[in-house]
Parts: sequence; structure tokens; C-alpha cells
Amino acid sequence: MKQEIEKVSLEFDSEIMAVSSQAQLEELRVKYLGKSGKITAIMPMMKTVPNEQKREMGMLINELKSKIETAVASMQDEFKQRAILDEINNAERIDITLPVETGVGSLHPRTIVQKEIEDVFVSMGFVVEEGYEIETEYNNFDAVNVPANHPARDMQDTFWLNNGQVLKTHTSAAQNRILKKYKNNMPIRAIFPGRCFRNEELDAGHENTFFQLEGIIVDENVSVANLIYFMKEMLSRIFKKEVDVRLRPGFFPFTEPSFEMDVRCPYCDGKGCNVCKQGGWIELCPCGMIHPNVLKEAGIDSDKFSGCAFGLGLDRMVMMKMGFNDIRDLNSGNLKIFKQFKVER
Amino acid sequence: MYISLNWIKEFVNLDGIEVDELVKRFGLATAEVEGVEYKGQNISNVVVAEIKSVENHPKSQKLHILQVDDGLENLTQVVCGAPNVRVGMKTAFARVGAQVKDIQIKATPLVGIDSFGMCCGEDEIGIGSDHSGIIELDSNLINGTDIKEVFPIDDVIIEVDNKSLTNRPDLWGHYGIAREFATIFKRDLKQVDRVDLTAYNNLPKLNVAVETPDCYRYSALSVDNVTVKKSPQVMKIRLNYCGMRDINLLADMTNYLMLELGQPMHAFDHNIVKGIRVVTTKQPTPMLTLEGEEHIVDVNATLICDENYTPVAIAGVKGGLKSGISDQTNSLLLESATFSPMAIRKTSRKIGLITDASLRYEKSLDPEMTTLAIERLVYLLKNIDSGIKVSSSLTDCYNYEYPTNTIKLSADFINRRGGVNIAVEDMVDILGRLGFKVRGKNSDLEITVPSWRATKDVTIKEDLVEEILRMYGYDNIRPATMNMPLNPVEQLPIHNFEYKTKRLLVEKYGLNELHSYIWNYKDFNQDMGIKQDSVVELLDSSNSGQSGLRSRLLPTMLKFFYENKNNFDDVSIFEIGRTAEGLNENKLVVEKRKLSIVLASMTKTEKELYFTLKKIVEDLSELALTKVNYNVGANVSNCLHPVNSCAINGFGEMGVIHPSIAKNLDKRFNIVGLELDLEELLNAEKTITTRNKISKYQASDLDFNFVMSKDRMYGDLEKALSEFRCAYLLEIKLKDVYINQEVLPDKISYTMAIKLTPKDRTLEASDIEKFSKRLIDHMARYDIALR
Repeated sequence: MKQEIEKVSLEFDSEIMAVSSQAQLEELRVKYLGKSGKITAIMPMMKTVPNEQKREMGMLINELKSKIETAVASMQDEFKQRAILDEINNAERIDITLPVETGVGSLHPRTIVQKEIEDVFVSMGFVVEEGYEIETEYNNFDAVNVPANHPARDMQDTFWLNNGQVLKTHTSAAQNRILKKYKNNMPIRAIFPGRCFRNEELDAGHENTFFQLEGIIVDENVSVANLIYFMKEMLSRIFKKEVDVRLRPGFFPFTEPSFEMDVRCPYCDGKGCNVCKQGGWIELCPCGMIHPNVLKEAGIDSDKFSGCAFGLGLDRMVMMKMGFNDIRDLNSGNLKIFKQFKVER
Repeated sequence: MYISLNWIKEFVNLDGIEVDELVKRFGLATAEVEGVEYKGQNISNVVVAEIKSVENHPKSQKLHILQVDDGLENLTQVVCGAPNVRVGMKTAFARVGAQVKDIQIKATPLVGIDSFGMCCGEDEIGIGSDHSGIIELDSNLINGTDIKEVFPIDDVIIEVDNKSLTNRPDLWGHYGIAREFATIFKRDLKQVDRVDLTAYNNLPKLNVAVETPDCYRYSALSVDNVTVKKSPQVMKIRLNYCGMRDINLLADMTNYLMLELGQPMHAFDHNIVKGIRVVTTKQPTPMLTLEGEEHIVDVNATLICDENYTPVAIAGVKGGLKSGISDQTNSLLLESATFSPMAIRKTSRKIGLITDASLRYEKSLDPEMTTLAIERLVYLLKNIDSGIKVSSSLTDCYNYEYPTNTIKLSADFINRRGGVNIAVEDMVDILGRLGFKVRGKNSDLEITVPSWRATKDVTIKEDLVEEILRMYGYDNIRPATMNMPLNPVEQLPIHNFEYKTKRLLVEKYGLNELHSYIWNYKDFNQDMGIKQDSVVELLDSSNSGQSGLRSRLLPTMLKFFYENKNNFDDVSIFEIGRTAEGLNENKLVVEKRKLSIVLASMTKTEKELYFTLKKIVEDLSELALTKVNYNVGANVSNCLHPVNSCAINGFGEMGVIHPSIAKNLDKRFNIVGLELDLEELLNAEKTITTRNKISKYQASDLDFNFVMSKDRMYGDLEKALSEFRCAYLLEIKLKDVYINQEVLPDKISYTMAIKLTPKDRTLEASDIEKFSKRLIDHMARYDIALR
């Protein structure tokens, strides 16, 4: 029997050398390991083997069987790998350098910059409030200390409507409503961006429809020193670098004292460039301490509480940050311009 | 406004301070400086010269050949065209190599005769307005003296932004500006020299009567025996440097006083105007002004009339032609008055005449200034024309006095509002220099506002905070952080939703956000066949170009499509904007926040585009945690296709653009549009709220083929299914749509895949059977059969 086992082993060795396909391998596997294969055919011989040799013969057969199984398996692997290699080599080459149509559209640059600024304020604990575009005379003027017949009502060249309302001339038109809403929940920290309107002729620097972003802080003992600190922090975050600010006297009915805030040009560090028109400073932000009449009008005790307010010309920021030269482009709806913008700056 | 530094220095010594520093500190403490001009820098090598001989030019009628002595050894030959040349006259002579403004003087022949220099007129060197000939200088001057030693030609002119002076009536003259410089640099402010007119109290008063409340104060004086006609050169220089022309002595005097003290004055010819009546017009009155222009002064304006009520001036705006001073005038009636700022402003705007006087009166001038101005004018006039005679006592009708304003405050208040620590003495010093009277100390200061700041400018404590801080120096305030409780803030849901909506449209659907105007474009709409009415109109539409406000947003998006269509094959745009949809019971505009989308394509079908809109709406509804209904056949705006359109709940609509409008826009495109109230979408009932528990029991998948008449819509089937109630969790999906006219005439079959999940036990065959039977019965009630 031992001879027979060796013979089968040798036969297998030579036959597997001749195998060249998956099918032949399978045929060979069945021929040796199948139900009526050669291994099975050897088994009846065990009966003729003396008992003391049975154990040895059993081991030999198992060895043979496992040798065949291993050889077949390893050759199967080889065939699989060769098939994948063939698939790879025969695959169509995809030219990924061909152009594709992109899916992302564009946000209006105002939306992008406004969100960026809002995020700064929200991180500092501000609520982002809103206002109407069509306002009452009271909210736009009287409530923010612009009394009847005050030249400011002309100065601002208001769009008056035939029902007595106005297109809001400034975001301050929302101040009274916001102060009242939060006055029992001091301190008040709010910004309110919005579309404003002025009845003026259009040119590269003037729009009759534009965006402002206004902010107010009200608490006990808010001071000019606080205002400067806060504006400096806020503008540094917006421009993503430490900026210098300075105050100059200004005059607005809704604040007293009123200031014009200049920022040292962050594009040239004050050396003079096109953005700051060589002046080194950019007039950016009218601001001031909220006029006591404005607080009183909202039912806030102006002896106990004080506040500061500031306005940011959002369109100006957009133009500076996004490189617009003509403010009229912002409302033009010209897709050739706007398709260039995505969702972040 | 132009400020001459020479003039300022007449009132305050600014020695040792550089011009740059002056300008910078003034800009930070007082008002915005628009520019600085160094006068006289472009005048050089112009000297006094005497004309020694005058010969006619052989080839020119107008030109003369002069030999002049400019102080050098030899006489110099000049060809000169001025008519007033004569032997012995001294004039300003620009030598060869001199600079006279833009002209570099060279030796050059004039009509064949060599000329070595130029004799100058005062307008040529910029020190006067006279253009009639060359300037005649004092004969005592030494030939060859530099003209700059004769006249103060070198000066620094500071241009101050008028807008930043709007609230400062006291800064409309040099003296007020000098007070600011004196305070900024802690220098003394000199008093103006003037004549004490009480000496003339024994003379008769002028016949002056004020018959209108719009004249607050009218002060007048008459002066006779005026003989000098020409103003001194220094005065001419200052007027010209400050942007005015010199005319004659008396006119120049009133202008000079206005520029110096900010008080407009008027000089009438006393031989023509004997008395004064200040009245309010009762009917439109024609008025011929000094410039010879006729203006119709409307009713309720203030007029100055003579004692016979003949109008002689538009009060606070302009004098009349006939009553004005001329070269013959030797007796004058001086007006120095204050009027209601509103009245002057109204009149000036109404007749379209804005003058140096009216600009100042609008700012609420200090009535206390009127007599001072007269006293000052008489002082200056006397120095120029010593023979003048004051011929009346100072006549003064003072009808309205601004109340004296006294403000109580504590130094602590100033320091708290400023966030500073300024010593009381320093505060008192600043206020004192600015003219405020301070009494008391520390916590109990009582501050009286000077009359020139009390007409509207300084009224409350906060105004004093400004005065002290700006002079202390805003740049000296140390920034300080706030000390606030850490309260959480709640953001507005709608504000966030608006941004989320924009991001979704841009990122998932590739749309482009645009911003527009709020106008209703009536012409465009009419051309395209879009009907849109405005609920409100602008009172003045000259700058907007459109008179009405939009009531809908979709037409604006269609206009944007129209303007972009020639550059793109696909236009996918949106805006979230406001509309004026209607008026409420108080006649106030009902303002809406709308989303509008237009999708237009040359390659995609209407159906594809319309379904894209639906996908967008479904996504937005999910963001708003709600589910919307599409009401096909509902009334929609006339922009949309009557059949292929639908209302979205009660607050939106979408569809294919109406074929007639689409054709007008552009035949090549398929266009769909949407308009939706974003706030109502967010506020719609939150139907997607609770999540179902995941069942641990085995689900069963069942298919049902439902058949409906082809006239009906899939929405009917969906609605019927949504109203089926059962104890299982159902997931329903449309699997297949089958249309076959032969097999199912006039019907459509929908294969619905229903996944059935029991909540609390395993399903048995009988359960499924029962379920199917109930469902089929339920659907039958909606005329939907099982195939």
C-alpha cells in the first residue's frame, strides 16, 4: 500500500506541472480528491494492511491528501491573481483630466461677508436681529431722535412712500424695536444687518439700495473706552489681523457723543495704497454713545444704563474684501460677476 | 469752508506748531479737514517796479513798450497789454525766471518786440479779483522789494468739510475756529477789537420794525460820509483765499465780517432805504436780487422791506438789486440779524438759492453775535476810512432770545461715560477755554453754555462729555474691556433658516444668489406680459427710475434671467428678498420675505426643470420639518402656466412659466419659476417631529398594483394612502408606473411597494391577508381599484 501511495503522489506531482488553466486544475482536484478520486480509491487497501501498520498508512494518506489540497489551493490563488491582473491590464483607461461640470453655485458676496461678520459677533455673545425694509416714519426718525423738521430728514434723502411710510434710510430704524424687545434682559448685545435705501443718484460710489450692519451694546456704565476696545477687537477679527483704530468727532442725531471711526488701513498697514486712497486710514464706522433720548424712547432709564452703537458699511466691506470697484455691480444681477463667488471667501 | 491760517493767527498765537500738527489735531478734535493748500508757493521773484517810460508798440494798438526799474542796475524792457500803464506808476513785476502761478516767466518777443518779464494784475498773482489792469502799488515802496514783503501772500488755507460743521453754528467763521485751536493747544484767545457804540446812544434810532416771529433779532446802524471805495489789499487777499471775490469796500466789509465772525451782514444804501420792516410774505412776491436775477418769493417767507413795505431783500438769503450799495454809495444802513433757521432753510430751498448767508442761518446762528458784528465792522471801517460818521444809535429789535442753558453734572459722570480718569481742574480748564462758565466743584458742577453753543448744539450732559473728551483727546482714551454677565443668547430661527436655505440651494442645486432692487419694473413687466400692481408708490422716483414697489419677487427674477440669457445656456438663479404685498388695516405695508427661483435651460426639458423645483421644495420642507401640499389647479399668478403649475400650501407657487411670457423672454429656453414665503414655510406646522421606534420584528414586503383613471394625478393615490390608518409601521414607495392603452384603456397602474412592520409581534399570514383586504377596501372608497 505504501508503494501505491507513493505512486499516486508522484503521479500528482507530474500532473500538476502540466496544469495551465483553472478548469484543468478543477479536473485534477476532482481526479484526486473527488468522491471517486484516487485518494478515495486507495482507502479500501487499508483492510489488507496489518493492524500494526494501519496507523502509519493513515498518516501517509493524510499527508498526501493535505499535500494535494495545499498545492491545488495555492495554484487557485495564482490563477485568481492572474485573472485580476488581466482585468487591470485590459481595463479602459479613464481620462480624468477631462473637464467636468461642477455642482456648487454661488452665494452673493454680501451673504458671504455678512455671515463672516455675523460669526464674529455671535462668538462674542451677540444676537443677530433683523428689521423691516419698509418702515414707519416713527421708527426711522422720531424713535432715534431725529425730530420733525430736522435737516437730517432731508440730508438723508429719504424715499418716501405715498402711504406715509419710508424705505428705511438706515439700520437704526430697527433700534427702538430691538431695545424694547431686550430691555428686560440686560445687557443687550445685538447686531442687525439690513438693506437700506437713500434717494440719491447712482454712480460708482453711490447706491440707492445698499446694506449696512449696525450693532448696539447697552448695559450699566458702558463707556467710550469700552467702545474703542470692542471695535478694535471686532475689526481685528474681521480683518484677521491686529488693527489700529482712531476716533474723530462726528455728528449723528442718535448718538451723543458721536464719532467717525477710522481704521489704519489693513491692506498697507497705513503706508498708503489704493484702498485707503493713500491716506493710511479708512473711514469705516460711524459710531457713538447711544443718545439718552433714544434709550428713553424705548423705555430704558438713561441715567442707569448707557450704550454704544456702531454702523458698518457692509457694502464697503464687501467691496474692500472682494475687490469691487463699482458699488452698482452688487445689485446688477450680472451672473458673469457673481458666478465667480462660491459659498466662502 | 476755507480757513486762512494767517487770519486765525490774528486771534491766537500758534507759534512753534507745525502745520501738519495743527491740521491733524484739529481733525481729531473738531472737524474733518478735506485739504491743505499752501498759498504763495507758486509766486516767486515778483518785485516792486516803477514804470520809467511808456512807448506805443509799433505793430499793436493795445500793447505798450515799458522801461521799468525793478531795483537792479539797468532798466528792463517789458511789453505790456494793460490799459492803465503810466509813467511813475509802481506795480508788481515778475522778472525773467519768476513763477506766477502756472506761468514761468521767460524772455520772449511780443509781436516782434523783446520783453523781459511781466507786469502783473492782482488776479494774476491771486490776491484780488480785479482784472482791469496791472496792480498799482504804493509809490513809497522801494523798487526791487519782494512782493511777499509787501503783502501777506504766503498763507496756509485749510479746507474744512462743511458737513462736519452742520451742528456747529459757531464754527462758520474764523473766530470760532480760532477758539478751537486755542483750546486744543492751550493758547490764549484774543478778543476781537471793536468800537463801543454806546457812545452814539444819543443819536436817533433807525426806523426799524420786526413784524414776523421768524426774525429773532434785527440790529441796524447807519454810517454816513463813506468815501473810500476800494478795500485794502490784505482784505482782498483774505476774501479771495477763502473763496470769495472782492467787489467794493462796503460789500467786502460785510463779507469779511461773515467770514470772520460767521455773522452774515447786509449793507443797504441809506439814501434809498430809510427804514426797515421785516415781514412774512402773504402772497408770492417777485424780487430782483443783487445779481440781477428775478426770484418769486413764495408765501410765508421772510422779507426785508423799506419803511414803505417795498421789498429790499430776501431775509437771510440775498439782498435786492435796487437798494444795494453801488460805487456812488456814501451812506449805508447796516443790517446784522438772526432769523429762524427753518424759515431760512425753507425759503432758500424753495427758490433754489443757497448762499453763504443762508447756509449759515440754517445752522442756528447765535443772536448775541449781531451787535458784536456791527461794532467790529465799524472798527475796521474806521481804520480804513477815518472820515466815516456813525449817524444813528445802535437800533436793536431782539424778539426771540434762546433760553440760557445750565447743565448740572458731576465729574464722575464724565469719567464713567468716557471710561477715563480726567482731573476736575482739567475739565474746568477745557470748558473755560471753550467759553463755558463753570461753578461748583467735583460732584456738583453747574455749567452755563455760552450763547454761541446754546442755539441747539449743547443741551445735555452727554454733550459736555463730548466737549471734554474731544479736547482731552480721543486718542488718549485707553481701550477697556467690558464687564458683563455671561448670558446665553438665542438666535432668530428665521435668520438661520434663511442662511441654511441659501446654502442648500447653492451647494446641492448649484443655484446662484443675486440681489436686486425693490422696485416694480412696470415697463419690463408690460413688455413681457407680466401683470404686477404696486400697493405703494414712491413720492419721488427721479433716482430710482421706477415709481412703485414690487408686490412679488418672481418678476424680478425673470428680469434677471432676461438680462443674463445671452451669456449662458443655463440660468439658475434665486433671491431671498422683501416684497410689499399689501396694506393692513392701518394702511401699513405688509412686508414679506420671499424666496424666488428661476431655472431656465436650453437643454433640459420643462418637466426636468419643474421636478427640480419640486425637489428643492421637498428639501426645504424637510429643513423646516414640515411637509407641504401641491395644489394643482389652484389659482396662481399670471407668470405661471395655467396647467403646469401649482400652489404650495397657502404660501407659495411654482410652475412652468406661462408660454406667452416665456416666448417674450426667449423662445430658446425652457423656464420654470417659484415664489415662496420663507417665513410661512418655517412657521408651518412641524409634521416631521417624532421619530418612530425601530421595531425588532420581521417586516413584510408587499406589492399592490393600484389602477386609477388617467385624468387623475398620483397625488390622489398618495393622499388616499396617507389617510389609511393601521397598527403597523408603513413605508410606502412608488415602484413602477404602467400605462398601456390596450391592456388598461384610459387608466394608469401604479405599483406600490409597501413595507409592513409590526410593532409588537411577529406577522402571521392571516394578519397580512386582513391588512390587504382592509387596504383594498379603503382605496376603493377613493375610486382606486386593485388591478
